[in-house]
Amino acid sequence: MSTQPLSIPAKKVLLVGGCGFLGLHLIDQFWNLSPRPEIHVFDIRELPKVSPNFYKFNPSQINVHIGDLTSPTDVSEVISRISPEVIVHSASPVHGMGSAIYYKVNVDGTKNLIACAKKLKVPALVYTSSAGVLFNGDDLYNADETHPFPAKSMDAYNLTKQIAEELVLKADSPEFRTTAIRPAGIFGPGDRQMIPALRAMGQKGQHKIQLGNNLNLFDVTYVGNVAYSHVLAAQKILDPKEADKVGGECFLITNDAPIYFWSLGRAVWNYDGLVAERTFVIPRSVGIAIGYVSEFFSSLLGKEPGLTPFRVRTTCAVRYYNITKAKTVLGYAPQTSLEEGINLTCASMDESLEKK
Amino acid sequence: MIFYVILRGLDTIEDDTELDNDIKIPLLRSFKSVLDKDDWTFDGVSEKEHDRIVLVEFDTVLTEFHKLKPEYQKIIANITHKMGNGMADYISKESQKNYEGVETIAAYDLYCHHVAGIVGEGLTQLAVLSGFGEPILDKNPQLYNSMGLFLQKTNIIRDFREDLDDGRSFWPKEVWSKYADSLVDFTKPENEKKALHCVSDLAVLSLQHVEDCIEYLENINEPSLFSFCAIPQVMSIATLELVFNNKDIFYRNIKIRRGLAAKLILESGNIAGVYRIFKDYTRKIHLRNRPDDPNFLRIEIICGKIEKFIDEHDPTSALNVAKASRATKRKNEPSEFAIFVAAAAILSVTCGTMVLIAYLNGARFDLVFADGLKMVNHLLFNGPMPSSAHENVVPAVTATVASVVESVIPHSDL
Repeated sequence: MSTQPLSIPAKKVLLVGGCGFLGLHLIDQFWNLSPRPEIHVFDIRELPKVSPNFYKFNPSQINVHIGDLTSPTDVSEVISRISPEVIVHSASPVHGMGSAIYYKVNVDGTKNLIACAKKLKVPALVYTSSAGVLFNGDDLYNADETHPFPAKSMDAYNLTKQIAEELVLKADSPEFRTTAIRPAGIFGPGDRQMIPALRAMGQKGQHKIQLGNNLNLFDVTYVGNVAYSHVLAAQKILDPKEADKVGGECFLITNDAPIYFWSLGRAVWNYDGLVAERTFVIPRSVGIAIGYVSEFFSSLLGKEPGLTPFRVRTTCAVRYYNITKAKTVLGYAPQTSLEEGINLTCASMDESLEKK
Repeated sequence: MIFYVILRGLDTIEDDTELDNDIKIPLLRSFKSVLDKDDWTFDGVSEKEHDRIVLVEFDTVLTEFHKLKPEYQKIIANITHKMGNGMADYISKESQKNYEGVETIAAYDLYCHHVAGIVGEGLTQLAVLSGFGEPILDKNPQLYNSMGLFLQKTNIIRDFREDLDDGRSFWPKEVWSKYADSLVDFTKPENEKKALHCVSDLAVLSLQHVEDCIEYLENINEPSLFSFCAIPQVMSIATLELVFNNKDIFYRNIKIRRGLAAKLILESGNIAGVYRIFKDYTRKIHLRNRPDDPNFLRIEIICGKIEKFIDEHDPTSALNVAKASRATKRKNEPSEFAIFVAAAAILSVTCGTMVLIAYLNGARFDLVFADGLKMVNHLLFNGPMPSSAHENVVPAVTATVASVVESVIPHSDL
């Protein structure tokens, strides 16, 4: 990664959710700063073991505080003990949980964090939102930050991310500056979803099937770039000259390289040497029909349907963003290209497989 | 027009492989001074050159040239001088190594700049001077340079065989040496795959100019100049699509069909048409891109980037496209309801047939019904589970597709 040494006007940073997938990369990016701030992590779990090939930081120099984000005592205690100049909040439950958990962590947890940080006079908060807050299954062409929230969110995860983002941005004031980063489709070392799912599909021979015409572009973002954008946001929000441009604002972050939906999969399958001689294309309409059939049988069997008409529409939707605002205000540019990002992710998966 | 004819003359001298370098090089270098004369002609080029006539009757060109406004004459003379010298440099430097193409990508860019970029410079200066183009065109050399480079690079890919048969090549060694030891290897059928990978590598070098070309065209405000600039560009993207992943370029000379050329000319009269054509051919290139090509991802990314650029520059069109595609979907594709009905119909027919076949084969439906009753009993009233649960009814294809989508869309934030 060709990150030029950055610096931020902070001696201490607190990374909430710092043991998560993005959190570990946040640690890594803050670790790269020169001078390096004191890095504190607040999470419900311990720091997992990480490979030195993909993370540069020294785990023994990271201060981990275990606690519950929704508990005013836990959060106040850690903030008053450290008194950080900036908090980066990337804690969020993984996908596929019940909506109660999303409400608890994303909404209640964020509310609690804002209240505690304000009370204890933390100067700034950077919140990790999601580009998914704009998406409800309809096409998104080059959507920017002026794009309205959909009338109906796609699911509980995105709805609670939206509510939390609104809470964070509304809390912005000259004494307590807040900003939100909206990354689109995060992937990278430590990823348990996108690339692993694609590789598993390839292993099952499902790379030969394509749903839709593959003309729909969508955005993904390498996790290192997402973390880097948080550092930039922290740097700008703590700079009195820049804070007004960043405070109360949200920023979409992508790799600035929208890719045709199935092409990402093909690049991943290529890494494993899997190239389909012929691809079996299921047109969108047929996919929707199969979705109905699948839904019908699933309801008969009382199972969760794997394929629903809604999911087919989502797979075939255009979904990419305009990141001009992040480029001009934050000075953001992706530091790791899509190709490098994919290779790094696959290599890190292979390494952790070898260990097992 | 006069400008073009003069450059045609210059180009004809450069292209003539039979003309001796001792005559050719001084002639190219001093071509600017020819423009000061009234009666200069030249009949030393080979009969094979198509545009020989331009040089033979160059005096008529000069007469017309001197009728132009002095500031236009100055620009043209200046560009002629630069180009003549650029060509001469190239010939004297590279003549020995021609069989190997140019050395590096930088040299490839420079060569294309001399033969095509500088023309763009002259044309742009003329356009801005006459008020037909916005001043930004002149201020940003990258834009006009890209106009020339896109055309030239694409033609260099297309003309591979013709050039090779003439004993020369312009493909940069920095690129082709990744795929072969010599350029002639590409003409051997056993190297076909490697040869095509080299073409896609070169295609990336062409495609990187597309955004500049579109931006250039956006800044021309005179219709006939617009067409004059846009037509070669749309032809070029169509040509690039034609040569991309097309093994024919190694065996013969290929060109886009006349009918297609005519269609492109008709459609490229305004910027909306240019957006449409570029988007169309960019997508065609993407759809012809093969995953086993080492340049697969680079091509996909650059195609996506161009599409995004077009959407960004023409937001109304992007929205219109979205709306239009939804509208045509409604027209061309069956409605959601129709799909639902069709799915239900297929389902019942399939089930019916299965049941019928099973019955004809002696299935005991009386027992099945009894089983079914037990099942209902189990589901509704928590009765004992019947011994044979019929779980395998979901057709295999549904299961596979379901799991595909399940893994691709982990609920929300892909």
